[in-house]
Amino acid sequence: MLTREIVTLPGGAKTQVFRGGKGPSIVWLHGPHGLRGHDPVIAELTKRYSVIAPLSPGFTDLAEIDDIDTVHDLALHYDALFDALGINRIALVGHSFGAMVAAEYAAHYPSRIDKLALLSPFGLWRDDHPVADLFSVPYATFDTMLWKNKKASAEMSDPADDPNDPTEKAIALAQAMTTVAKYIWPIPDRGLRRRLPRVTAKTLIVQGADDAFVPALYADEFANAINGSKKAIISGAAHMAPYEKPAEVLALLDGFLGK
Amino acid sequence: MKFHWFHLMPYPHLPDDFKEKYPSVWVDAPAGELYDPVKGHQVYNDYLDQLEFAERAGFDGICVNEHHQNGYGLMPSPNLMAAALTRRTSKAKLVVLGNSVALYNPPIRVAEEMAMLDVMSGGRLVSGFPVGTGMDTAFCYGANPATLRDKYREGVELIVRAWKERKPFAFNGKYTQLRYVNPWPVPVQNPHPPIWIPGGGSIETFEWCVQNNFLYAYLSYWGYENGRPVMDAFWETVEKQGGDRNPYRAGFLQFIAVADNDEHAEKLYAGPAEYFYNKCFHIAPQYYNPPGYTSIATMRKGLSGQVVKASANLRGANVKWKDLLDAGCIVAGSPQTIADRLNDMADKLHVGHVMVLCHYGNMSNETVYYNTQRFAKEVIPKLRNRFSEYEDRWWPKDNLTDVQKPAPLAAE
Repeated sequence: MLTREIVTLPGGAKTQVFRGGKGPSIVWLHGPHGLRGHDPVIAELTKRYSVIAPLSPGFTDLAEIDDIDTVHDLALHYDALFDALGINRIALVGHSFGAMVAAEYAAHYPSRIDKLALLSPFGLWRDDHPVADLFSVPYATFDTMLWKNKKASAEMSDPADDPNDPTEKAIALAQAMTTVAKYIWPIPDRGLRRRLPRVTAKTLIVQGADDAFVPALYADEFANAINGSKKAIISGAAHMAPYEKPAEVLALLDGFLGK
Repeated sequence: MKFHWFHLMPYPHLPDDFKEKYPSVWVDAPAGELYDPVKGHQVYNDYLDQLEFAERAGFDGICVNEHHQNGYGLMPSPNLMAAALTRRTSKAKLVVLGNSVALYNPPIRVAEEMAMLDVMSGGRLVSGFPVGTGMDTAFCYGANPATLRDKYREGVELIVRAWKERKPFAFNGKYTQLRYVNPWPVPVQNPHPPIWIPGGGSIETFEWCVQNNFLYAYLSYWGYENGRPVMDAFWETVEKQGGDRNPYRAGFLQFIAVADNDEHAEKLYAGPAEYFYNKCFHIAPQYYNPPGYTSIATMRKGLSGQVVKASANLRGANVKWKDLLDAGCIVAGSPQTIADRLNDMADKLHVGHVMVLCHYGNMSNETVYYNTQRFAKEVIPKLRNRFSEYEDRWWPKDNLTDVQKPAPLAAE
């Protein structure tokens, strides 16, 4: 079980952080599904690690991102949060949208990140192999693009455990996708390629071979841009690789992070 | 009541199998494959002729609007169309229901062009500022849907301030920074042309319109009965904000089909109406509601679903004339029937400005003129005195009386 903590940042903004588990500390930055109570990957991670999982600003209240206009502002937000939490040397793991944010953070504040695991990252662009438009399906059906079998697993299919009201569920989804859209619309390229050479952390890149959103060759794009990084391609998995092939992805993480 | 002849300017030559063959009329319908510029030349000229005819027939205003990358409406720049109309009309007000302010950088461009139109037309401009559809803004122009509405509001604020102050100032906005705001020309109408906000039922827009004394125009294609929840919510907001219940605060759009009787109406209008609803409204669902486009407050109020739901219901269906009548989308029949229905609309929606669609789909010139002429001669007079007890504060005052007329074309 994760416990929730409200952290106040300089300037007065409040943000939510979830914590749980025992072991070496890792910071988990979630993907477009947000932080769900029944997230099976986080549940596994808490068996091995002390997991610190910040909730992305915007996901439960869009007013939180009124003043977080750019990916640079996002990096500043997380830096203020890590200061507030008193964590200095960080093992940072991000999935999907969270992997883009993690890569940005590691490029903005290279000295603070020891280890960086990017699971299905995006933020780069190649004209000859464009990233698919995440919004080329109605956003309420975005799972069709992200999972290999085109639908979410049972644990990840419900946008919110609480509340149960369908309107509030629709709103939770709208807030999550509006937040993601803010930092990737209309093309998920905010110049990350220029910044990636700044990353000094030991870096692992993991991607599903059958990712219909971000073509698997982008793992090479990240690997080539980050000095000394390693990549792993998970066969039989798509953008949701950590959820589709959890045993394989967790084994990779264990090897990389050390239990 | 006032009546304005609204042209959507659809592309009328979409193929018969358009709906089966292409996923959407908007955003990604391939222009090079579907649009024939030689036919397009004729289409633009026909459409401008029709708008000019509407003035002669006696409509109060003629309307153009803004849409991008689509076969639904061929006016990426409504200002170009309005500019052509300034030279060939002299009485009708020019209701420009574009410009989508957030798409212009800097938005002062809109203040300049709208002022040009007001000066060229001798003070006949109504300036419309829509947010723009999800298709036009987020998908065609790449506008970020998360910030679109905020950027739009800031742009409108800048334009109105430039028109009101009429002397240089610095503007330090979030989306636009200008050291010197001082657009030339200034509009004839002082402080500025009436501002109309075309909307689709966003709750914040109601409040903003009332607070700023803007007209709210509900552009729904689903008929006035379906428009009631939105207009009720609008009038509720007016009351809450302490505004007067003046029907000229509001406008509504209505499809019209004037004929001798119901059977005659079907014969004349079923084809063009089915063309419009089946082809021009064939919009892929991801495009009309990008994330962030519908505000959370509007979602909570449950208003957002209506247009989306109606569009979704139409999608995939082969809509027939009878469906459109049953759904109340089109007001059709004899002039008396239409006048009765519009009186009913005035009772139910309390709107003083009606944007009339006498052209839709691939309607022939002949039918457009027939529909327009009969509406002007036989329907408008029956409704002219409706709401005459109210002052219309959202309409241009008298034009310049000594308007410069265009010189006759030089003889060959």
